[in-house]
Amino acid sequence: MNNENILGSKPKVDYKKFLRHETALLFLLAALLIYANITDPEFLKPSAQISLLDNLWQLALLAVPMTLIILTGGIDLSVGSIMALSAVVLGLTFEKGISPFIGVVLAVLCGLAAGTLNGWFVARVRVHPLLVTLATLAAFKGIAEGVSQARPISGFPDNFRHIFGGITAPLCFFIAAIAAIYFLDRKPGGVWLRAIGFNETGARFSALPVDRLKLQLYALSGLAASIAAILYVARRNTAKADIGTGIELDAITAVVLGGTSIFGGRGHVWGTILGLLLIHETREFVSWHWSRDELNFVVLGSLLILSVLLHRLLGEEK
Amino acid sequence: MIQRLFQQREYAVALLLGLSVLGVALINPAFVSGENLGSILFNVVPFVIMACGLTFVILLGEIDISVGSLYGLCAVTMGIVASPERMGQPVIFAVAAALGLGALVGFINGALVVWGRVPSIITTLGMLTALHGVMVMIMGGDTIKNLPPGLRFLGTGHILGIPVPLLITALVLIFCAVLATQTPLGRRIYAAGSNPHAATLAGLSVNGLKLFAFTFTGFLTALAALVSVPVLDVIENSVGQGYELKVVTAVVVGGAALKGGRGTIIGSLLAALLLGMIGTALIFLKLGDAVTYWERAIQGGFILLAVLADHLARRGEHS
Repeated sequence: MNNENILGSKPKVDYKKFLRHETALLFLLAALLIYANITDPEFLKPSAQISLLDNLWQLALLAVPMTLIILTGGIDLSVGSIMALSAVVLGLTFEKGISPFIGVVLAVLCGLAAGTLNGWFVARVRVHPLLVTLATLAAFKGIAEGVSQARPISGFPDNFRHIFGGITAPLCFFIAAIAAIYFLDRKPGGVWLRAIGFNETGARFSALPVDRLKLQLYALSGLAASIAAILYVARRNTAKADIGTGIELDAITAVVLGGTSIFGGRGHVWGTILGLLLIHETREFVSWHWSRDELNFVVLGSLLILSVLLHRLLGEEK
Repeated sequence: MIQRLFQQREYAVALLLGLSVLGVALINPAFVSGENLGSILFNVVPFVIMACGLTFVILLGEIDISVGSLYGLCAVTMGIVASPERMGQPVIFAVAAALGLGALVGFINGALVVWGRVPSIITTLGMLTALHGVMVMIMGGDTIKNLPPGLRFLGTGHILGIPVPLLITALVLIFCAVLATQTPLGRRIYAAGSNPHAATLAGLSVNGLKLFAFTFTGFLTALAALVSVPVLDVIENSVGQGYELKVVTAVVVGGAALKGGRGTIIGSLLAALLLGMIGTALIFLKLGDAVTYWERAIQGGFILLAVLADHLARRGEHS
């Protein structure tokens, strides 16, 4: 990417560089699907695929703001814990006999507040985001466990489950993804994000609103986590402090697999979507075909390292 | 004076640790009984040993979050090699297998970071996931029981009246502290972490140092598993899960900067003790069963407090 583009008034994205990585991902995905088609054609039936997609939406929703955060060179490890906290807030209000729809509003506010706290520490106190969100990962999870005493709450009313289950989950993801892509490609803010990731000091000297953007991004991530929690509760009919455990690592894997540099500045939501698809299909096929969930950990961990390794060794000059 | 205190994180953590112990002891004197302090020490043994290795990795500006899964895998390897129900090999083989595996995985982490130029957070995140899968596959949903007496000795035995885990932890601490402060290797690690470019120009092999730090961390992780897992007779499926966050937290609360170049072994030790005693302290405060669920919230709160204290100290510096 040219330096002129970073500060120029006309945001422009250099797609060529991403395309190479994204083509590789597409090839991998195609190879997987062809292999699946040969060994186990049942897996590719639309009915099977659609029912498997249910497992994807919460993760996908979290991966969108995660992409933007990683583009600025940050990271948010606390999203799983914010999910737990929001779910517990929703569950406890429902248990107190208050309508779950008020619980939804409280859960969203809670997620927003949690994300804003992260953002405040990152942007105003200027602490390394890895450290901040590591702390809030423990803190939010601890608060969720503390106020709920780690017990499950279930039996949510049908109308709540109908509204937030089913089609709402993909809808939320698509709105988030389209908004993020629009922001990245058509708004100056999209270029500013990358500028922050490339060279934060430079971005500050160029009078870009670095702190405000960061604060908003982490708040947005908290908001997405709370919505993911609501969707999860509606689908599973259970709110418990252990939901969302480890989902932050999946989201980061999807983003990095999609070609976004962990150091910031380079990457796109398109790549993340491909990364999500690849993770999703791999995971579901391994579970489907070998019925061994633990094999998934090995496959996905190796996939993450290998994809970055190949990208580093083949893709980049210097 | 107070600002000086906060600028040296070790003092702040030591102060916080002292005040916490004192506070809990005032409410419930049984907290400072030898037996209870001993059990707290036993609980933090694995975290202290792993934190020693991780301190060097973070000093070099890298990170290793694979230690939780590696700890579990080493524990399982050791158990399977030694347990009479599985392979039933001599204990020395089990120890060698675990230590070798730990060092090997650490070396692979380092090689991927140094030669593969994969960022360490990605490398070790992938390793964390992959190794966890390998462990679960090996275990196959079972537990390992009946560890042989030779292996149990590592967890429960005494040498010269000192429990073996505490003795080994003390040796590791002394070794690492001397390594960090008294040897050329230690000074090189600080130099390379503070300014890798200058260190390279000065003729230091930053890559070599990183390889060493990762390999050493893997080795120590295996050692931590060796002396802390055989305390019990059973090895569970979930051993080591979530340890990586506790270890990273300990090192960072202890004053190590994620950018590298700053941090001490003693700080990591103090922070590991502080974080490790929260759970026990909560029980001794007699606030009822409900309060034990708040342990993680308090741990997270401590980190944020440490971070804020740093911020305030820095602000004092500027004015």
